[in-house]
Amino acid sequence: MKKNWIIVVLFLVLCVPVSSQTDEDCMICHEDPDLKTSDQKSLYVDYTKYVSSIHGEAGFSCTDCHADLSGFEDFPHPEKLEPVTCRTCHEKAYEEFQKSIHSQAAPEEDCCVVSCKDCHGKHDIKSKDDYDSRVFPLNLPRTCEACHLEKVQTERGGEFIKRYEETIHYKGLEKAGLATSSNCSNCHGAHDVRHVHDPDSQVSRKNIIRTCGTCHVGIERDYLEGVHGKDFVKGLNEIPVCTDCHSEHDITSPKDLSSTVYATKVAEVCSRCHDNEALSRQYGFITARLKTYVNSFHGTASKFGETRVANCASCHGFHDIRPSTDPKSMIHPDNLPETCGNCHPGAGSNFAKGKIHVVSEKATNKWAYFVKTFYIIMIVGIVFVFIAFISVDILYRVVLRRKKT
Amino acid sequence: MNKEKTALITDDEIFLRMNLAERIQHFLLIGTFFILIVTGLPVFLHNIKFLKPLFSLEQSFYIRGIVHRVAAVVMILNLIWHILYSIFSKRGRDNFKEMIPKYKDIRDAFEIFWHHAGLTRFLNRMGIFKNFFTKHPYWLFESSPRYGRYNFIEKFEYWAVGWGSFVMIVSGFFMWNVELSLSLFPLWVHDIFIILHGYEAILAFLAVIIWHMYNVHLNSEVFPMSKIWLNGKITGKELRVLHPLEYQKVLEERKNARESS
Repeated sequence: MKKNWIIVVLFLVLCVPVSSQTDEDCMICHEDPDLKTSDQKSLYVDYTKYVSSIHGEAGFSCTDCHADLSGFEDFPHPEKLEPVTCRTCHEKAYEEFQKSIHSQAAPEEDCCVVSCKDCHGKHDIKSKDDYDSRVFPLNLPRTCEACHLEKVQTERGGEFIKRYEETIHYKGLEKAGLATSSNCSNCHGAHDVRHVHDPDSQVSRKNIIRTCGTCHVGIERDYLEGVHGKDFVKGLNEIPVCTDCHSEHDITSPKDLSSTVYATKVAEVCSRCHDNEALSRQYGFITARLKTYVNSFHGTASKFGETRVANCASCHGFHDIRPSTDPKSMIHPDNLPETCGNCHPGAGSNFAKGKIHVVSEKATNKWAYFVKTFYIIMIVGIVFVFIAFISVDILYRVVLRRKKT
Repeated sequence: MNKEKTALITDDEIFLRMNLAERIQHFLLIGTFFILIVTGLPVFLHNIKFLKPLFSLEQSFYIRGIVHRVAAVVMILNLIWHILYSIFSKRGRDNFKEMIPKYKDIRDAFEIFWHHAGLTRFLNRMGIFKNFFTKHPYWLFESSPRYGRYNFIEKFEYWAVGWGSFVMIVSGFFMWNVELSLSLFPLWVHDIFIILHGYEAILAFLAVIIWHMYNVHLNSEVFPMSKIWLNGKITGKELRVLHPLEYQKVLEERKNARESS
């Protein structure tokens, strides 16, 4: 320790003070890769990198940011300098940042948990449009993950955050190279990133529709026209938003087996609310949707993994689900032939003459109820007769054998 | 007299109870029935969890449907063959005539039940209703009924297959061709086809598992298995004991033939 300290002091002494210091003056000392503070923090500055950074390219000199050294002549300068403040130039970003969860004071320091340099870098800051920038869309996930995978203990854990890499959005970035595909900041915000439970967060229940709708414009429009969207704008809290059906960090394509809205899984997602007694009373819909669906051929086949059969969305629609009373609804009696006709070519009006979700045959289809009851009685009766005949047959043989012996 | 009789039918003479065509028909029926049950019942009983892995592979439900329909077509072809066989062959026609249910079959079922149960004989031994039983010894059911070529059990099974096939073919045809079905009938009628198909399948399955399996495999007379379905053979003794009326018929025929020659 002591020896290092001497080396540092020697180096600092060797720096020749000049009247008006330039970058070159700073680099006399700071180009040495071994230059360190007393507690072993490197003081080395890769000047070539700085020159090609956005600030270097713009011609800023060291003292433009390290402002407390401006005009300083009595080198070596003190070890402890004022922290660089980006606010001087980046006022808007600073103001946004002040509202974010990152700006909260760290437990032992007087500044923030995360500061500008943690995301943007120090001397090598590039434009956000530069391929090498840490906040370039394709690079941003790595930058956030640097802390959020392990260092930061979040409510759902690092695994949950890591799952982003399985999503369709990440695949869009990574495989298709789409800079427009959602990265962390598209959903969570950049400088003003907030906690998910903060009502003003971009990913809060209140704002998520708008956030997803930024890219998925047509879907936001459809959603707001449907029964869910119409209740959503009333500010009702139970109304499903994007993430309730599509999940959060692990959003995958509906064609992906792991998607929550994969053909064979849709029914479970919808029934989370639609089989809920309390919600059904509150919003006036009928429950037992999953059970009645599974009891139909569509549902049974779907349960066995068949994707070609109708699921909830095939008949009810996706984002613009409407009640059957709405003439635009896919399940309005007038539209049923067309809806059913998607899979059953030439479907006529007969498709509408009956019930799909049969809660009680007794109430909706008397003949079906009769046939079912008849068969149940017959099966029980015939099995009873079989067993009676078999029992006396066995009895007879047992008695006969006993007589013989 | 007795000597003459044994000369006409000996106990170890072999009679053909099922010829090759009949055995193949029976084989095909077993095969298709088994496939149809395995590929069909899990759909009806989808709430039973352990059946789910049966179709866990991708496409397996789709393949299940194809296998089910192929088996159904084979079963129908087998049925057509059997019908043609029963119309155009002498043996088929004779068998069919023997299969026609008669009042005697109901009586036989009734008598064998009480014969086996032995309740009335027990009451008689205990001295209860003694007068009634001495006056009407029929109600003691001392002897078992005498069957012809086919007893009431076999006739019941045969006609159950007939009725079942009819229900399954009609309902299955419309389930296979949903679009056709719904162009002819409203949805609620189609729903009845589905119910019919499922419940009739359960009925057939239970009939085979309980009734047929007991009668041809498990009962101590044939245990572990009657071999007629494999070699089609029945001995003179078995004919005499199990099908006394047929035995008598053969005996008469041979007696007449001997006398005329």
